[in-house]
Amino acid sequence: MSDNTTIHDVAVLPGQERFVAPLDETPLQDVDKVDESAPATSMWADAWRNLRKNPLFIISGILIIFIIFVALFPSVLTKTDPNYCNLDNSLGDPEAGHPFGFDFQGCDVFARTVYGTRTSLSVGLLSTILVVIIGTLIGAVAGFCGGWIDAVLSRLNDIFYAIPMLLGAIVVLQMFKTSTSIWKIVLVLALFGWVSTARIARGAVLEAKNLEFNTASTALGSTPMRNLFRHIIPNSLAPIIVIGTTSLGSYIVSEATLSFLGVGLPTTTVSWGGDISNAQTNLMTNPMVLFYPSVALAVTVLSFIMMGDAVKDALDPKSRTA
Amino acid sequence: MTENVNENTEAKIVAMQREQGPLLEVKDLQVDFTTDDKRAVHAVRDASFSVYPGQWVAIVGESGSGKSTSAMAVLGLLPGTGHIVGGSIKLEGQEIAGFKPKEFDKLRGSKMGLVPQDPMSNLNPVYRIGTQVKEALKANGMDVSHEKRSALAKALAGDEVAVKGNDDETFIGSAQLPALLEDAKSALTAIGVSGEKFDNVMQYFKDEWVPGSETRWRVADDLIKAGVSDDKAWEIAKKHVTGSTMEDRIAGLLSEAGLPDAATRARQYPHEFSGGMRQRALIAIGLACRPDLLIADEPTSALDVTVQKKILDHLHMLTDSLGTAVLFITHDLGLAAERAQHIVVMYKGQVVESGPSLEVLQHPQHPYTKRLVAAAPSLASQRIISAKERGEDADALLEHQVKGEATLEKSEHIITVDHLTKEFKLPRKKEMFKAVDDVSFSVKRGTTLAIVGESGSGKSTVANMVLKLLEPTSGTVTYEGKDISSFKGKELLDFRRHVQPVFQNPYGSLDPMYSIYRSIEEPLRIHKIGDKKSRAKRVRELLDMVEMPESVMTRYPNELSGGQRQRIAIARAMALDPDVIICDEAVSALDVLVQDQVLRLLNDLQAEKGLSYLFITHDLAVVRQIADEVVVMQHGRLVEHATTDEVFDHPKMQYTRDLLDAIPGGKLQLGLD
Repeated sequence: MSDNTTIHDVAVLPGQERFVAPLDETPLQDVDKVDESAPATSMWADAWRNLRKNPLFIISGILIIFIIFVALFPSVLTKTDPNYCNLDNSLGDPEAGHPFGFDFQGCDVFARTVYGTRTSLSVGLLSTILVVIIGTLIGAVAGFCGGWIDAVLSRLNDIFYAIPMLLGAIVVLQMFKTSTSIWKIVLVLALFGWVSTARIARGAVLEAKNLEFNTASTALGSTPMRNLFRHIIPNSLAPIIVIGTTSLGSYIVSEATLSFLGVGLPTTTVSWGGDISNAQTNLMTNPMVLFYPSVALAVTVLSFIMMGDAVKDALDPKSRTA
Repeated sequence: MTENVNENTEAKIVAMQREQGPLLEVKDLQVDFTTDDKRAVHAVRDASFSVYPGQWVAIVGESGSGKSTSAMAVLGLLPGTGHIVGGSIKLEGQEIAGFKPKEFDKLRGSKMGLVPQDPMSNLNPVYRIGTQVKEALKANGMDVSHEKRSALAKALAGDEVAVKGNDDETFIGSAQLPALLEDAKSALTAIGVSGEKFDNVMQYFKDEWVPGSETRWRVADDLIKAGVSDDKAWEIAKKHVTGSTMEDRIAGLLSEAGLPDAATRARQYPHEFSGGMRQRALIAIGLACRPDLLIADEPTSALDVTVQKKILDHLHMLTDSLGTAVLFITHDLGLAAERAQHIVVMYKGQVVESGPSLEVLQHPQHPYTKRLVAAAPSLASQRIISAKERGEDADALLEHQVKGEATLEKSEHIITVDHLTKEFKLPRKKEMFKAVDDVSFSVKRGTTLAIVGESGSGKSTVANMVLKLLEPTSGTVTYEGKDISSFKGKELLDFRRHVQPVFQNPYGSLDPMYSIYRSIEEPLRIHKIGDKKSRAKRVRELLDMVEMPESVMTRYPNELSGGQRQRIAIARAMALDPDVIICDEAVSALDVLVQDQVLRLLNDLQAEKGLSYLFITHDLAVVRQIADEVVVMQHGRLVEHATTDEVFDHPKMQYTRDLLDAIPGGKLQLGLD
């Protein structure tokens, strides 16, 4: 535009006259001032704040603390030995000191339910820990290295994925029928359980690997391995934690199922699955013998699944349905 | 603009605008958002502005100023928890602020159109472009065989030709086009047009008569202008221009928006389009139903400047001919002043200043507007002067001069790029793609060299090779006379220590899991410098250097703004006392004021520490503020290399000239007082 047309001689239309707001209405701030009033937050602090207010988390948290307490100190709740069985009491009704009555073998149902907690919880926790470690490592290596390593690990993953967990576990456990350790169940569950964790870890690592802060770190002098452990894995942990907590419940169920089928723990180890299996023969006459271990199992699994849901909401707010 | 020719028309437009009154009148608008904990955030407070028919009005402001929110309130598209709590919005005198979503549905498309900000996410990837245009036409029950012209456009067109009834707005159909051209040819021959003139006229007809876009009266008008008698011209036009099909109209709309070969393009999917082409398709959709008001929300922010210029030029022409008013939302004051007659400046949800564009630009009165004008890179005419040079301290000044001279005498090249080439293998293609093709330049110690180019010009690839993040296919990069390709182990670590990057995306280059303290400390840890205590001291110094309070140390990147993160990234880069900093589009994602602040910081650091910068940018305006030398790249090749002044005053290559022309508001006269 040439100089002679400065400040257009075009008449200003009504409502478009020059307007300048009084300064006191919107006082100028420093450019890009740091808001120091807000509390400092990180992803974990945010997640914690979110969790604290979630009723799902509070309820499941209290239940889980109680379950852990029972598993650690069963003797606080009952003085009865779960393996002390007197056939005189076979299918006896509840009486003082034995609130849940007796099972077919004459064992105290309350004591067996309380002592069964330890087995279920250990299997669930140990399997989850093992699965998370194995799955994350395999997934992270596959995602980070790419190329043929990724191809091999991913196919291995596909093969394991094709085997139904329960079927595979039954076949493998048949070979260790004599072992009484809970480790055989934990190992078998981990053997077939790492697959989905590895897939999720691989995806998360692939995503985190392409984020710019890795390039930035490399340019600062960091090595690829350092990037993997310092930046990539920490940034991929959230989805892994979510799947870990939600699948904990399913491992407890699997242990119960395997014990129920008779390939899990031997009858000498107190477990809910074994008790449910034993109780089914008298289901018609004495349903309560089956009822108590089943409820304990259901409440435990539900608590962990609820906890998993709450953690998922907190770590990944986008997945919330509300 | 051809002012003289259009003076009459302009006066007429103003008279009509005055008579019709404002098309859109927003008065004391208040928009609140409700936060998670039920607090109300006032996003827009008492904003008033108006748009007249056929007028371009720009709302200018930084992110969070409420400019987009105001526009979305007008469209009835406030997101989530946003709602209008006060004021009025009048469209053609009708109050629409209290409208229900259903009532807004009727207004959108036919009365108000939107060209959204992000062309990448606003087209549905599973539908063909044509289908998406069709959707807009169908949803509003548009008649695809007739043009719908605004009252304003009609009145203006009436100047040149008598539009006789609605049928004269009938479109050309593709089926009838060959016959029409045939008859036009014989009519021309009949009146004795021949030779070169004949060819030119026919070529003009072929170019202009786009099916589904050109109308009967225009065809007649063109024929009459070519010398055909009135009666004959109208006879031909009436016989052959009998309306278009849906497909014709879609192609017509797309070609109006500036897409070449529109009929073929309409059958393609969004992923086959470049960013600029997608934005053109969105413009076609926004204008498909001939709205009286088009709201363009930062329509070109994601595009290269040259593409931005082309698209806005075209949009201007199109809306002028249709008589469409445009409410143009932008963060760029230069762009706003160049495009709009009226500017509304928003800050923190309020209108702080408004008025005729040039007047606001030349005599800004509100301190915020003054600040904006001072910071706008497109309006700045020279390099930023560093704090030291500005400094009243004579010693500092002297020292700097001495140092400056010494540097000049040494004239040592700290980084030299020699015949650098990088080829990439493209998927499913045999030949290699040359991202960088035989590029040579060198960075002088203590100076700034800028590499300018559009996206895809290979400038970032060069940066990554200089940083040794990518290996060149051929050619060498030398740092302090040593070839960096041989660096390994300790030597590489040493190189990394002296050559630091600052990347484009301040959201991506800081690890979200690291506190600010850890982020800045990281390079010290990697290079095993100092103990815990001395590192903490160094972090504090660095934060002070980038003018950030110490309290941010315990914070995480997500709590800081883009500009603040970029300052943290600069602090991290400075941690090891480097010699060279490579800024890859380091200020491109920032608001003007913040951008200005970061540029000044970089400049002050350079003066203080004698740093050398390799500055990669697509924005020539920024180059003028910071660079001593400029390298212009296009399609992987170096097209021009000169000092900044030379490039700006005497650009040698056409491409450089195009880039300079595309700087928004670059030619506006400023009278800053």
